[in-house]
Amino acid sequence: MKSLLIIEAKNSPEFLERLLRVCRHRGFTTTNINAETGNSQQTLHITITVVSERNISLLTKQIEKIIGVKQVATLRQEKNIKATA
Amino acid sequence: MNGANFVVHALKEQNVTQVFGYPGGAIMPLYDALYDGGVEHLLCRHEQGAAMAAIGYARATGKVGVCIATSGPGATNLITGLADALLDSIPIIAITGQVPTNLIGTDAFQEIDVFGLSLACTKHSFMVQSADQLGPIIEQAFEIATTGRPGPVLIDLPKDIQIGPSVAHTLAKLVHSNNYLDNRLIAQAKLMIESSNKPLLYVGGGVGMANAVGELRDFIEQTRIPSVCTLKAIGCIPHHSPYFMGMVGMHGSKASNLAIQECDLLIAIGARFDDRVTGKLDEFAPNAKVIHLDVDAAEIDKLRQVTLSMTDDLKQVLPAITIKPNITPWKKHIATMKAKHVSRYDHPGEPIFAPALLRQLAQSIPGDTVICSDVGQHQMWVAQHMFVDRPENHITSSGLGTMGFGIPAAVGAQVARPNDMVIAISGDGSFMMNVQELGTIKRKKLPIKILLIDNQRLGMVRQWQELFFNGRYSETILTDNPDFVTLASAFDIPGETIETKSQISQALQRLLTSEGPYLLHVSISEAENVWPLVPPGAPNDKMMESIE
Ligand SMILES: Cc1ncc(C[n+]2csc(CCOP(=O)(O)OP(=O)(O)O)c2C)c(N)n1
Ligand SMILES: [Mg+2]
Repeated sequence: MKSLLIIEAKNSPEFLERLLRVCRHRGFTTTNINAETGNSQQTLHITITVVSERNISLLTKQIEKIIGVKQVATLRQEKNIKATA
Repeated sequence: MNGANFVVHALKEQNVTQVFGYPGGAIMPLYDALYDGGVEHLLCRHEQGAAMAAIGYARATGKVGVCIATSGPGATNLITGLADALLDSIPIIAITGQVPTNLIGTDAFQEIDVFGLSLACTKHSFMVQSADQLGPIIEQAFEIATTGRPGPVLIDLPKDIQIGPSVAHTLAKLVHSNNYLDNRLIAQAKLMIESSNKPLLYVGGGVGMANAVGELRDFIEQTRIPSVCTLKAIGCIPHHSPYFMGMVGMHGSKASNLAIQECDLLIAIGARFDDRVTGKLDEFAPNAKVIHLDVDAAEIDKLRQVTLSMTDDLKQVLPAITIKPNITPWKKHIATMKAKHVSRYDHPGEPIFAPALLRQLAQSIPGDTVICSDVGQHQMWVAQHMFVDRPENHITSSGLGTMGFGIPAAVGAQVARPNDMVIAISGDGSFMMNVQELGTIKRKKLPIKILLIDNQRLGMVRQWQELFFNGRYSETILTDNPDFVTLASAFDIPGETIETKSQISQALQRLLTSEGPYLLHVSISEAENVWPLVPPGAPNDKMMESIE
C-alpha cells in the first residue's frame, strides 16, 4: 500500500538520514522524496511516498518520535499517488 | 575556560558526580579537564565495559549514567552498550571524542562517522559543530535522555571544540506542564475493569522507568487484580503478593502463561508485547480486551490492537483508574493455579541444581542487594527463582540480551550504591565476554560478589540445539574454559569452586561475608535446561516442561 506523508521538521544536516533510516527499518520502502528548506532555512518541508504492507500509522508514530519533527500528516491514496515533487 | 572544562562544568550542573570511560587521542582535552575537575571518573578496561557500567549505574539509581570514549575504536566499542540502553530505555549519555572539525570527512587517524553509527542505536545524537552549541546540546541531551521514554543520547565532540574557548550558557528553567487526563478514557477504563470477570495486569519495565512502582502497588493493593510481569519489571510487584504469578513469556511461570491465555481483560502497564513475552502473537491473550498504558505512543497498536490506550504518566493514570472489580472466582482460580504450578527444588543426587542454589541465595541476602545477571540459562534461573523488592535491584539485559553485561553492570551498580551488596551472576560464556572488567573491580577495590554458574557450555544455545537442532552441538561446548578461580586471583579476587549440594551453605556464607570481592565458581551439569519453555512460534499455553 502506498502512502504519501507530509513532514515538517527543524532543519538539521542529518534529518533526512534519520527519516530514511526509520522508514527502511520499520518496513517501508521509499519510492519518492522531496525536501526543501523554507526561507529562513530553519524548517525542512518534506513530502515522501512510501510503500509497505504494514499500517502507515506504525511509521508515522515512529517519525513523530524523531527529535525535531514538528508535524506529520498522512495522505493515503492506495493506487496512484502523485508526489507533489 | 576551554570547551573541555566547560563540559565538566556542565556535567556538574546536571548533578553528575560519576562517569565511566577510557581515554584516547581525540578525547584527551576532556580527560585533562577531568583530571582535577571535580567529577569522579572510573577507568573501565574496555569502552563496552564503560557503557555497561553507566547502564548499571543508571539502573541502580534512576539517575543518568555517563560514559566517555575516544574517537574511532573507542566510540565503536560503545555501540553495543548504546544498543542495550536503547532497547531497555535506559537514560545514559555517551560523550565521544572526534577528530578536529577541519579533518572530519578526510579519513583522518581514528576518524569514523560515529554520528552516523549512532542513528540506529540511540534515542538521539548530537555532533557539536561550534563552541556556542555545547551548552545547549548538553542540556538537551540530558532532557532527551530522561523524559518521555528514556534512552541513550550520544554527543560527538570534535577535539578543536574541546580545546577552543567556551561560550557561557545558562540552564533554562524547565517547566514540565501538568497533564490533564482524559476523563472520558478514565471512565471507559474503569468501566472495562469493573465489568471484567477475569482481569490481569501485564506489568513491564516502564513502571520502574516512570518511577510508578508505588502507584502500581497501591493499585494492586486496592483492586486485588492478579498480575504477571516481564523480565524487566521484576521487583515492581512484591513477590509475596497473593495474586502475583511471576514472569510471563518464553521462560515465564506456567501459572502466568495460562492466566494470560484465560483472561478477558489484559491491562498492559509500561509493557510492549515483546515476542519473548507473547509467543505466537495472534494467540496471545486470545480472549482479552486490552488496555494499554505506555508513555510511548509508538508502542500503542504496534503489535497488538488494543481497545483503549493512554500515554499519560503512569503516576497519574494508575490512581485515576483504580476501581475494585468483583472477581472472587477468578482470584480463587488464580490462587489454585499458582499453588499447583509452584517451582520445585527437589533434585536427585549430589550435583548442584542451579535453581535451588539461587533460591537459597535469595533467602540469604540483605534486603537491598542488587542482582546483576548476565545472559543465558543462568539469567532465566535468576529471573525465575530469585526475588528482589524493587526493580533497581534486578539489573539484566532484557531487550538486547547482551552477553557480557553482568560484570560491568555490577561495577556501575556498586559504584552507585557503595553501601549495598552487589552480586553479579554470570555464566561461563558471558563471564569471558567482559572479563577485563575484573581489572576495574580491582582498581576501585569494589566488593562485588560474583557467582559464576559454569556448565562448560553456551548453555542457552546448547538447550536449543538439544531441543530444536537434533542435538547437533555446534560450537557451544566450552570444556576448554580457563581455570576461573586462578583467573580471578590474578585480579586479587579470592574465590573457590564448588560442585556438590553439601558445599553450598558454607560457600554462600563465605561469598556473602567476604570483605572485598569474591568469586564463587559453581560447577553444574551441562544437561540442565530452563523450564518451562514456550517453543518458538507456539502460543504461551503450549509450554514444554521437560524433554519429551
Ligand atoms: C553478545 C552475545 N552473543 C551471543 C549471544 C547468544 N547467546 C545467548 S545465551 C548464550 C549462551 C550464554 O552462555 P553462558 O553465559 O555460559 O550462560 P548459560 O546459558 O550457559 O547459563 C549465547 C551464546 C548473546 N545473547 N549475546
Ligand atoms: Mg554456560
